[in-house]
Amino acid sequence: MYQTLLIRRYLTSRIMPLLAALAVLLCTAMVLIVWSVMGGFLNMLLASGRTMMGDVLISWPVVGMAHYQELIDDLEADPLVLAATPIVESPGLLATPDGSIAMVQVIGIDGRGYDRVTGYSDAVWWRNLEKPMPRDTDGDDPRLHADFTGVFEDALRMSGRDPRTGEDAPAMVLGVEVSQLNQRVPGGWYEPRYLQLRTDSATLSVLPISARGVAIDVQARSFPIVNQFRTGIYEVDARTVLVRLDALQEMLGMAAATRVRVPGSADADPLGLGVTLDERGEPVFAQPEIVGASPARVTTVLVRAQDGVSAQRLRDRTAEIYRDFAQRHGRAVPSPDSIPILTWEQRPSIAAFIGAVKKETGLVLFIFGFISMTSVFLVLAIFWSMVSEKTKDIGVLRAVGAGRAGVAWLYLGYGLAIGVVGATLGGLLALVVVHNINPIHDWMGSTLGLVVWDPSVYYFFEIPNRVEPSKAIMVMCAGVLFSVAGALLPAIKAAHMDPVKALRFE
Amino acid sequence: MSDRPATTPTETGLHAAQRRTDADAPMLRAIDVRKTYRLGRVNVPVLRGASMDVQRGEWVAILGASGSGKSTLLHLLGGLDRPDAPPGGGEIRFEGTGLRDMSRRALDQYRRRRVGFIFQFYHLLPELNVMENTLLSAMAAHSMGAYAANRGGLRARAESLLGAFGLAERLRHRPAELSGGERQRVAIARALMNEPDVLLADEPTGNLDRKTGDAILDRVAALRGETGQTIVMVTHDEEVARRADRVVRLEDGVVVRG
Ligand SMILES: Nc1ncnc2c1ncn2[C@@H]1O[C@H](COP(=O)(O)OP(=O)(O)OP(=O)(O)O)[C@@H](O)[C@H]1O
Ligand SMILES: [Mg+2]
Repeated sequence: MYQTLLIRRYLTSRIMPLLAALAVLLCTAMVLIVWSVMGGFLNMLLASGRTMMGDVLISWPVVGMAHYQELIDDLEADPLVLAATPIVESPGLLATPDGSIAMVQVIGIDGRGYDRVTGYSDAVWWRNLEKPMPRDTDGDDPRLHADFTGVFEDALRMSGRDPRTGEDAPAMVLGVEVSQLNQRVPGGWYEPRYLQLRTDSATLSVLPISARGVAIDVQARSFPIVNQFRTGIYEVDARTVLVRLDALQEMLGMAAATRVRVPGSADADPLGLGVTLDERGEPVFAQPEIVGASPARVTTVLVRAQDGVSAQRLRDRTAEIYRDFAQRHGRAVPSPDSIPILTWEQRPSIAAFIGAVKKETGLVLFIFGFISMTSVFLVLAIFWSMVSEKTKDIGVLRAVGAGRAGVAWLYLGYGLAIGVVGATLGGLLALVVVHNINPIHDWMGSTLGLVVWDPSVYYFFEIPNRVEPSKAIMVMCAGVLFSVAGALLPAIKAAHMDPVKALRFE
Repeated sequence: MSDRPATTPTETGLHAAQRRTDADAPMLRAIDVRKTYRLGRVNVPVLRGASMDVQRGEWVAILGASGSGKSTLLHLLGGLDRPDAPPGGGEIRFEGTGLRDMSRRALDQYRRRRVGFIFQFYHLLPELNVMENTLLSAMAAHSMGAYAANRGGLRARAESLLGAFGLAERLRHRPAELSGGERQRVAIARALMNEPDVLLADEPTGNLDRKTGDAILDRVAALRGETGQTIVMVTHDEEVARRADRVVRLEDGVVVRG
């Protein structure tokens, strides 16, 4: 009983133990901030990887696979599948309007289909604004005008007006960091400038590869730039260019084509040129004979699961569907045993990266948790000196009949109270800091010139700013526990104090 | 005994019955008590077989020179300390029971219920106000639930005690805001809070001027007149000792009749 009263009084009348609470506060806040940011980073990474890629990928790179539309129809007929879409991936060279040339990853997409699978429309950057941006004081942002709507539509159609011909043509959507026109503002924050959409075009060069893996010839083509997209992953936004699927297929020689055969005997035409000589030695050009159609191909089919269906389950189902599909087409499509069908997490590049981030998070947490042990010793030191200082009081308590356990509880309870106060305030501090971490970072960048979060290192433009309640509770409990642990030894010391010596203590 | 205010709910029937049966036996006895302090390798015998009896209702003064072991004896009587290990350490008996035979818990109970300590230097807790310091012994004696249930009665008792010592206006003051005499009165109220069988006072006025000390002793004497409180008071002051019913002297570690 006297413990509660004394703890209350000690808490409000003494400075030193509040320093212990401060230590607990700082340790709690530090660990929680680090965990929230690192863990949030991991979550963002996972979410973004999924945003660009859907849940499951069937890919047969370079050469591509045929009959993909039939495969997509099969997939979309399945109840586990929400949508599927074809894409073509290829490396390419981009000559941007500002004159720079960059290596990019070109993805040919069907805008609306890609949106259904990946949520692409959320990433489209230029769109109408309801009200001016906070920094736009004049309200002259073109996005506020009604006629801006077409820009967003163009990104979904992947088509736009070709500035040279004035006709509607296949178009290109750039990652927001691809063009040098977009600069980071001093605080480290990225603010895309308005690109000359509808008047700018860029030239894309790709290298078609034959089925035998031989480069055929560089194909270059100019596309109007109709919009930009921003996934939040720097790597993607700085290196990815989206173009209309059919245009890229054409450039890469993956479009549907008529397959022909030139008649003639092998004897007369050993080179298979379709040219033979008649009796007079004049060349005779054979009429090519149509023998069939070479179907269009894509390198990847992306599949999106219905809500509540796990990526792994969808992967297994997709593999079954592909097996049936491959059976119908025999050798015309890649064998089901050799084609990689992976969930987005299993893609080797992502899997290695996510594993690394998980390990790093664990390591950093361990280090910070270990550093937090200092709070145990701080509480110990402060309580130890406090018990010495309070020796006489302990003697008095024993003289009025307090037992050893009672005195021990006094100090343990005090440690608990310090821990609860420190951990609660630390949790609150972490909450405030994490919620405002981007403005804080911004401010640090503009006033101190300190940019800790470099997007090219950390992949995201914004620092994760969510505190998970479960993490907060765990960290705060640990903070309280540390404080009580620090109070344990002083409490034992107080309990074992000889009351007579304590009373005689000067 | 019946004139004692029955505000403490712990006043059990058994307790009362025991009192009656032991009425004529000494309440508190020190029998051939020895206490030796050890300073490095040197043994310093302070008590060398001190014996004394305290009857219920009696006011006994223990007179002795500084360093004669008065405080030591008082601590032993109050169960704060133990005599030298047996055999030969002697023993302290309260109502016939040797303190040495008590468990640690029972000894805590003994200090809570049976004795009230007053020290020369008041020993109030600086963080607590006058009221809280007085209630401290009641808090130590009750579980949280029992304290909460009797809170009103206990506070009333503390208030009436402090009122009797002229501190009614100072309930919310911290010890630092009080004079020495006022502090000692708070300490006495604290010692009396649990209606102890015996009040053990270690030079209660030794740190006060004669006038203040006398006023306090007058109050104690008046209170004793009402309740018949048993008091064992240590002092080196002959005049203070004269207030007691009986004076014993502590000389060379033994008790000599006054
Ligand atoms: N813990 C201890 N270790 C060694 N010697 C001690 C210890 N406590 C007390 N003493 C010694 O015991 C003797 C008696 O001490 P005590 O405090 O009982 O005397 P006292 O009669 O109360 O004196 P005073 O009138 O000055 O208060 C002193 O000589 C003191 O030095
Ligand atoms: Mg003394």
